[in-house]
Order: sequence, then C-alpha cells, then structure tokens
Amino acid sequence: MRSSPKLRPNGWDALVILLVLALAAGGALAVWGGGRTETGPETAVVTIDGQEADRFPPEDLLENPRTYTSNGYTLTVAYGIDYEDPALNTPSPSGKSGLYVTASDCPTQDCVRTGIITRSGQSIVCLPARIIIQLTGAEPEPGAVDAVVG
Amino acid sequence: MRRFISITLGLALLLSLTACFGPPVDPDTVQESIQVIAMDTAMVISTYGSRSTAAAYASEDLIRELEAQLSRTEENSDISRLNAAGGETVEVGWDAYCLLDKAALFNAETGGAFNIAIAPVVSAWGFTTDSFQVPSQAELDLLLPLTDPRGVSPARLDDMKFTASLEPGQSVDLGGIAKGYAADKLADLFVEYEIPRAMAQLGGNVLAWGDRPDGTAWRVGVQDPARPDEQNAFAGILNLKNAFAVTSGGYQRYFEEGGKTYHHIIDPATGYPADSDLTSVTVVAEADVLQKNGVMCDAYSTGLFIMGEEEALRFWRNHRQQSQENAFELVLVTEDGRVVVTQGLAESFTPDEGSGYTLEIVS
Repeated sequence: MRSSPKLRPNGWDALVILLVLALAAGGALAVWGGGRTETGPETAVVTIDGQEADRFPPEDLLENPRTYTSNGYTLTVAYGIDYEDPALNTPSPSGKSGLYVTASDCPTQDCVRTGIITRSGQSIVCLPARIIIQLTGAEPEPGAVDAVVG
Repeated sequence: MRRFISITLGLALLLSLTACFGPPVDPDTVQESIQVIAMDTAMVISTYGSRSTAAAYASEDLIRELEAQLSRTEENSDISRLNAAGGETVEVGWDAYCLLDKAALFNAETGGAFNIAIAPVVSAWGFTTDSFQVPSQAELDLLLPLTDPRGVSPARLDDMKFTASLEPGQSVDLGGIAKGYAADKLADLFVEYEIPRAMAQLGGNVLAWGDRPDGTAWRVGVQDPARPDEQNAFAGILNLKNAFAVTSGGYQRYFEEGGKTYHHIIDPATGYPADSDLTSVTVVAEADVLQKNGVMCDAYSTGLFIMGEEEALRFWRNHRQQSQENAFELVLVTEDGRVVVTQGLAESFTPDEGSGYTLEIVS
C-alpha cells in the first residue's frame, strides 16, 4: 500500500519535530541537568519582632544607610569594609565587606559592639529593639561553622 | 520512516513529562529557617526535610508558649504568678512544674551551685533590668537567706494538676534552664515531624539534630571568651551529630564599675559573681529524646562554671563512674590560657590554632 502524497513527511514536519525535540531537551535540562541550587546572591534580611521587615543586597547600603525603629529604639545600619585596624583603615586579610550597626540608642549597645558581618549565616542582634540583621543566601565558605555556642 | 518519527516524538514527550514530577530534590535537603527573639535571647532554628516548614513554624509556637509560661517578666506567666504569690500556693502548668522539680535535682547534684532561687540577688545586681549596680553587703546579707532552694515546693496533685509555692520573699528565675528545656522539647518536635536534620541555636544553647546535608557532623564554634565581641573568634570547633551543647561564661553579660568587672553568674554561696578560674564552660551530651539532656547541659554549664576547674572535673569523673545515663562531656576554657577537653570529645574537638590556647585532654 502506498501512502498518500499528502501524508508524506515534508520540510514542515521536520521543523516541527526539531522544535518538539528542542523543547523536550531544553525542559529536561532545565529540570534535571542544572540540579537544585540552594545558594544565590548574598542578601540581608532584617527581622523585627519575628516579622521580616526588610530584604536587600548588602551593597544597597553603600551610600544610603538605613534606620530601623522598634520597641522604642532606633538602629542605623550601613555597608562597610572589614578593617583589620579601623584606626588605620587597613582592610583585613579577608578583604570582606558587609553590614554593621553604626549607631543605636539601645541600652546594651551589643548590636554596635558586634561589628561588621561579612558572610552568610552571620547576624547582628539587638535584643532591646528585638531586631535581627542576618546575611543569607551566598555559598558558605569552606570551613565555616554552622552554629556558635557562647 | 513514520515509525521512526512516532518513536522519536513519543520519547520526547516522555522526556518532557518527567519534568512535571518536579526536580530530583532530596527531601532531606529542603531547608526552612526562622528567627525568634524570646527568653531574652535571639534564636535561629533551621529545619530540613519534607516537613521542614511546618516544623519551623511549630518550633516558633512552642518557644512562644514556653516563654509565656516560664518567663519571669511576662506578667501572667506561671513563674510571675508564683513569684508574686507571697508564699501562697498557685496552680502551675506541667512545664513550670517539671522545671521546678528538675531544678531541685540539679541543685542537689551540683552541691547548691545551680540555684534558681538566686533570683532576688541577681535582681539586686541589676542583671534582670540592665540597671547594673553593686549591691551593698548589708543588702546581700538580707537577700541570701531568701535563696534557700528548699523553700521552692512544686507538687503534683494528679496527672493534670500541678501546684507550686515559695517561702515569703522568695522568687525564682528559670533563665538558667528554660532554654535547655526548650531544646529538649524541640527534639521531641523534630521526632514528631520526622525531621532528619536541624540546627537550633537558642542563645548559648545549640541542638545539632542529625547531621549536615552532606552527611558530615555539624560544625559548632565555641566562642573565645577572651574575644566575646568578635565573630569567628573561637577557642575551638566541636564536630557534633545529634547532640546538645551549652556554654556559660562570665563574658556573656557583665558591667564595669570602679575599674572592676562584674559578670552575671552569681555564686549562691557569696551573692557575688562567681570567682571562677574558668572563663567558659561548655557541656555536650547526646540529643536523646528519652534522656532529656538539653536541660541537664544548661543547668550543669552554670553550676560547673561556679565550681571552677578542679571541682568541675571531679564532678564529671564522679558522674561518669556512677552512671552511663545522661553522660556528658566538657570543654573548659581557663583563665590561664588552656582549653581543657574531656576524653569523650577528644576526637570531635578541633582547637583553633590562632586562639593561643594550650589544649589539654583529660580522662
């Protein structure tokens, strides 16, 4: 039996096949090939009294420090470089930049004393204001700790 | 030719459909992280597994509920009502009863070093209100008789009803064990939610549940007491799987007056900050849901700091000889620049070369 000339594959059929194959391969690669990444660009997350209040790339504060007020206290958060000797403005061997609390009117000043946080997982806590500033998202450094006691 | 085309398109369709079933995510690596400010500290709880989100939210609810019952500053908590009762008996919940009962046990075990009835003296130093002051000896002499732990009387009337009373003028503060108790309850919750791994940081308390997603032990840094305000300043690193770790140290809270430093761990024997030759004590024990070691680690870390190095090590050796249950290990940082690690942690403790401490393993 001979097939009808209308049913014979032509150039358009080849194009459709190629398109379907490309879409299938692309979809499979996107899902299976790339795997699942848990990391992304470093992000600062500000939590006030248990609720997320702000989320931004740390470098957003390079020229514009932000203030957060809670429980009657105000913190100013800025972007800076981790100086080995702040008096000499000598960058530390790591040469890292990050966030720090430049000023706070809280009674304990623990948030100011914490200094600069530069890598994912680190946080600044102000208990009187009930504010937590945490860096998240970036690839953890080899040898970094998961938690700290003390 | 048509058969070839049909097979090719069929395979392509099958390949596409596999994407509908989602990426090959190992459910044990799905992570949820929450931050809670409660019990006068910042807490971070990260849970893994297919029910990680539900477990994380349940963890926050659990901690809030415990704080509402156990806080000394929440007006209607069981403990606030007990402290305000003027010696009368008040009804309390299971958690408050349980902790008051355990506190009596830990007080006896540590020879009085751990004492929840020290609260009036801690208040006189201003540590509960951040209005720090050095109380006069006359004031301390008046307050110290009120710290007799025998005045704290929890009672179990039946399986559902619990009461407690204090001697008039007494007050209690569960801050020295409430976070450890919360860690024990979190371990129960992780079992209930089938959480394969989690990391809970409750202030100075850590619950390292299971292992890391890559199968290795959790890396828990022991803060260097000499550099309390520096991040990444460690006396060493503990590699832990399924374990509680709790640290107490005078560097955690203190004030200076007249050129002298006064820290917050008050010795019940003197009413003054403990004159310890240790700068920090870390107690580590297995995270066993039956043994409830979290609350034990919390109480012992305070008690052993007050005892000092020699007595703390004697306590550890005696405990080890008497019972295999509730076994614990220690990392002691001494004032004279040593890190003393008990035998059971020898393999899992990595000293920080840059800290300058001398490592000693004791058995």
